[in-house]
Amino acid sequence: MAAEGSVLMEVIRDMGIEVPSMCYLKEVESFTSCMLCVVKDRKSGKILPSCSLEAVEGMDIISMDDEVREARKSALELLLSEHVGDCEAPCQLTCPAHMDIPLMNRLLAEGKFHEALVVVKKDIALPSVLGRICPAPCEGACRRKSIDQAVSICLLKRFAGDHDLEADMSWMPIPASSSGKKVSVIGAGPAGLAAAYQLELMGHHCLVIDRNKIAGGSLRKEVSPEELPPVVLKREIEHIAALGVEFRLGSEVDAKQFLELQKSSDAIVVATGKGESGVGAWGLPMHPKGVEVHGKTYRVGDTAVFVVGSALKPSKLAIRALGQGKEAAFSVDQFLKGQAVTGEPRLFNSRFGKLDRAEYAEYLKESKEGERLEPAQKGEGLTAEQVMEEAARCLHCDCRDLKNCRLRLYSDAYGADQKRFKSEVRQLCTKQVQHKEVIYEPSKCIKCGICVRLTEKYKEDFGFTFIGRGFDVVVGVPFNESTAEGLKKVALEVADACPTGAISRKIESL
Amino acid sequence: MEVEIKDINAIVQELGVAQHAVIPVLQAIQEKYNYLPEEALRRVCEISEITPAQIVGVASFYSQFRFTPAGQHIIKVCVGTACHVKGAGLVYDAMKRELELGEGKDTTASGKYTIEKVNCLGCCTLAPVVQIDHVTYGHVNTSQVAKVLTDFETLKGDSGKKKYRLADGSEVKGEIRIGLGSCCVASGSDEIRDAVKDTIDRKGLNVKLKHVGCVGMCHQVPLVEIVPANGESTLYSKVKAADVDQIVQEHFQPEGFLKRISHKLLNMADTIRDDSRWMGVDRYSLDVREKHVSLFLDKQIPMATEFRGIINPIDVEEYKSRNGFKGLSRVLKEMKPAEVVGEIIDSGIRGRGGGGFPSGIKWKMVARQPGPTKYVICNGDEGDPGAFMDRMLLESYPYRIIEGMVAAGYAIGASEGILYIRAEYPLAVTRVLQALDICREQGYLGKNIMGSGFDFDLSVYQGAGAFVCGEETALMESIEGKRGFPRIRPPYPAVKGLWGAPTLINNTETFAQISYIMKNGASAFNRVGTKLSRGTKVFALAGKVARGGLIEVPMGMTIREVVEEIGGGVANGRKFKAVQIGGPSGGCVPSWKSDTPIDFESLKEVGAMMGSGGLVVLDDTDCMVDIARYFLTFTQNESCGKCSFGRIGTKRMLEILEKLTTGKGTEKDLENLEELAHWTKKGSLCALCGTAPNPILSTLEYFRDEYEAHIRGECPAGKCKHLIKYEITDDCIGCTLCAQDCPVDAIAFKPHEKHEVDNELCIQCDGCRQVCPENAVIVR
Repeated sequence: MAAEGSVLMEVIRDMGIEVPSMCYLKEVESFTSCMLCVVKDRKSGKILPSCSLEAVEGMDIISMDDEVREARKSALELLLSEHVGDCEAPCQLTCPAHMDIPLMNRLLAEGKFHEALVVVKKDIALPSVLGRICPAPCEGACRRKSIDQAVSICLLKRFAGDHDLEADMSWMPIPASSSGKKVSVIGAGPAGLAAAYQLELMGHHCLVIDRNKIAGGSLRKEVSPEELPPVVLKREIEHIAALGVEFRLGSEVDAKQFLELQKSSDAIVVATGKGESGVGAWGLPMHPKGVEVHGKTYRVGDTAVFVVGSALKPSKLAIRALGQGKEAAFSVDQFLKGQAVTGEPRLFNSRFGKLDRAEYAEYLKESKEGERLEPAQKGEGLTAEQVMEEAARCLHCDCRDLKNCRLRLYSDAYGADQKRFKSEVRQLCTKQVQHKEVIYEPSKCIKCGICVRLTEKYKEDFGFTFIGRGFDVVVGVPFNESTAEGLKKVALEVADACPTGAISRKIESL
Repeated sequence: MEVEIKDINAIVQELGVAQHAVIPVLQAIQEKYNYLPEEALRRVCEISEITPAQIVGVASFYSQFRFTPAGQHIIKVCVGTACHVKGAGLVYDAMKRELELGEGKDTTASGKYTIEKVNCLGCCTLAPVVQIDHVTYGHVNTSQVAKVLTDFETLKGDSGKKKYRLADGSEVKGEIRIGLGSCCVASGSDEIRDAVKDTIDRKGLNVKLKHVGCVGMCHQVPLVEIVPANGESTLYSKVKAADVDQIVQEHFQPEGFLKRISHKLLNMADTIRDDSRWMGVDRYSLDVREKHVSLFLDKQIPMATEFRGIINPIDVEEYKSRNGFKGLSRVLKEMKPAEVVGEIIDSGIRGRGGGGFPSGIKWKMVARQPGPTKYVICNGDEGDPGAFMDRMLLESYPYRIIEGMVAAGYAIGASEGILYIRAEYPLAVTRVLQALDICREQGYLGKNIMGSGFDFDLSVYQGAGAFVCGEETALMESIEGKRGFPRIRPPYPAVKGLWGAPTLINNTETFAQISYIMKNGASAFNRVGTKLSRGTKVFALAGKVARGGLIEVPMGMTIREVVEEIGGGVANGRKFKAVQIGGPSGGCVPSWKSDTPIDFESLKEVGAMMGSGGLVVLDDTDCMVDIARYFLTFTQNESCGKCSFGRIGTKRMLEILEKLTTGKGTEKDLENLEELAHWTKKGSLCALCGTAPNPILSTLEYFRDEYEAHIRGECPAGKCKHLIKYEITDDCIGCTLCAQDCPVDAIAFKPHEKHEVDNELCIQCDGCRQVCPENAVIVR
């Protein structure tokens, strides 16, 4: 037991038990606001905030049980009900490959074309290809659409890809050191290529088998060469091969060979496309449209076989096939490492839906006015100048604090449901951008008062304060001074201590 | 008014440069400019230790402070519980319409009027009440707001004096009530009524003659109750017609004499005449409750309100002549501090502020702490919108409270104490300050009190308007110049209170009763009441009861006794539905549970709470969902905004209740409401929000069918505006009054024909129903 007088929460944490908290900051007086740190007093059954109680001899505390968990979850859900902001941007959430579109946009806007490509290629193995043929569901979700037109995400991605393809030396990601495992990928369409690309990068050697003599699958067969010049496809596939992926083309796989492959490989990814490949005869469990797999992991039962793309269910959306290939690669990786196969985790995402008209101006503060730019001729790409301009139209819907936001992490850990206590009216978003280094978005604020306490401690001239009371309380700079006036001394400290993305650093670390 | 630097300098110089001076400084600035000009606040920060973050944080926390200039005249529409159930919301809406104030506006374009809702003006028996500057209008209905304004305009030159006026503008000097129960009639009350009428007419008095139903004291009939506007009411029993002239004249005199009398009327507790001059009739009793007559004095036991209506609040000699300061003398001269604590423990008294913590235990805890610095605080931050006993006690018995506090200081070893009184109670503040001065002069405060060698002094701190500051830790934060955010306990104030020192904090009523205990001994107190709840409790009885007012009854009396015997039952022949006890922290006890004794435990058991003592009677026209919504509106406005459960939980519950009262609620909402209530109760940091779900939980328990009806789009009580329709029956005589009154022309003007309400246009202001002389307007 820690010394008398120490904070109960610290004592429990010292015992190795996790206690969630958002409003607690060791260097300032505790404030007891978020109520996430509640524990239960065994005797009275009362729920108590452990951040503000002294640990005293004889205390009998239950640090976790169903009620404590439910209390914490309810507190989170109450906070979420008034937390107006997106974690990941709508475009990224809509993208089947879950690509970090806003980050790509920002890099392109700054002319950092190579850095943008690195971001794209993290999730998308064939950017130049997709940049030509993708129907771009992301653009359908783009917030900018409600103001004028969606950002031209697809063409931006195409530019990132093309810019790299046209460079003297294209960029090659460096795969992880070899795991010694071998994966057979059956099918060289978008799903198979994506799976092989990702697995190779993870250090697992891949053999891609296809009955056609040329790789590409549906990308080659179902898309016109005007739309997708074969040379683009070819070059991007060459990049995949250059990573070390082996191709065995013009080679049919039948039931017998499938069995053999199973013996000779550590895992198999089946990406044979629409039902004409005879997969039905391979002894895999089937449903009317395709192979039956576990929805989240793409795994067939508890075998080493994973199935993706149209072999599961026919789809014309290449990006979906590609996304599945990527996701399956994650499961395969777990499998090969002997971990529980759970599939790629999706963290909790706060979402607030459509922009209100009154919010357009706020979101435009981080963007550029102006209509969507179109290529000079249909089918062409954008020029570098156009790309920088178009990418700058992105509204920065995604949160700056995605990785460290405790509201997100705890909401995820406690399985919080943002809609449980949802209100019919929501607060409007505003963005206070005057400060050079930090940005303040009050609608994301959970009123924990860390900024108020820090600016008081470090004697800012104005600092932050609570204004008003009750539900309507807001945190702001007194006398309506700007955030630039409010934070002259400890802006970055405040941004880093803010438990959500309400006050965050403007410049993101990559 | 221009902000002058020298004025701000002077204010700061007078009140101090320390951070804790911030609230008094803000009050002084607002007093000067009628709002808080930013320039002035910035200046304060330049010349004091007060920071911009502190001054803005504090100023925006307390509802007393304004950031925009107020109009020339302030219209306060009381929305306390009693006024609410009598339609204050509709009056507020009507007043806004009359002043052409749109959504979100509170001040007229001309800057003449500012309208605001206030939580309780403390005259629940006149509900609904509107106050313009210092003129109070009682029984205001929606169709009278224009008249109220006109009346105010015509007497503006004379606005300095506080007056009670009827909504039609006539100054009411009072009311004469004649019992018309069957026993009264049988004993000749009709005859009396005629005699009273005759006298009033002959003398041209503006007195209202009111008939009341059976008052229950059938053995004393006929009864005449005289209720002057500014003074105590008197009950005469066995009155003969021949006595009437004399009785009436005794209370109401024609113009000219009035000035002299009202000059004499220092306060409502003043007596009107003395016994020697009165020979006319058998006087049954001289009542002591505010504006009301007690029928069964023996049902009430005045301890905190001892000698009510008899003593002049500020006359220290009179207080002494009634054994005032005898208790203190005993304490200081004959008892050791520990003995005083022991006596309090023996008395069994529990805190009157609502929680019911045993006071003696608290005193012992503080007494045990090491000194030298300790504080005694009197919590007079009464915030329950249906209670005003603290105000009445502070205004009427300042010495009694001071005496209790000095005794407490002696018992726990403190030399300093603070009376925390709401700034909304200016009379209480003035009286207490006067009383403190007199006590210092006479040696009841200051050095060497009563020659005992004990030093103790008191000061007044004016609360700036925040219900949450009634919570003891928030109250102390506020004295320290901060926002009224409650702190977590432990540490309890007894260990670590004001400025970190051990602090004894008790409610106003508790201190008043401590005086009684000190004077009469523990046994005089603990023989009254029940085993676990000793002594008496003061209640503000209001709502749909025939006679409301302040009462002090022994603990353990049943709700039925209070409502029916003391309150005279439900007014206007309606049906008794429930009693709301304990205000925003309490619950609604249904009529079928009215045999519940009023004590701490029993009330908790039925889902209510003692609270500070608001007791609002509801009848069958009161919608229980609306009552729950009303209290949640209150707690939501008043919640401090600190903890997640309190800040957001109360808001979400209110939203659901609003959905329900507008007919948009669903089964799922009801489920969510219960979950929210559960977690807000369980998880909130302090008792304000921790008890906020009680009005919901108790109405859900006893009146769930009403919630379900609202989901179906029906309001069984006909109260919820969005769920009701107005109709005119065949009783309509075509008098056109309703058409004239309708603010939105939803009733066409058709003389001598049956009128009709166009429900497309109707805004449910209730005006037509109120003006109809034939009761032909009904709610469906």
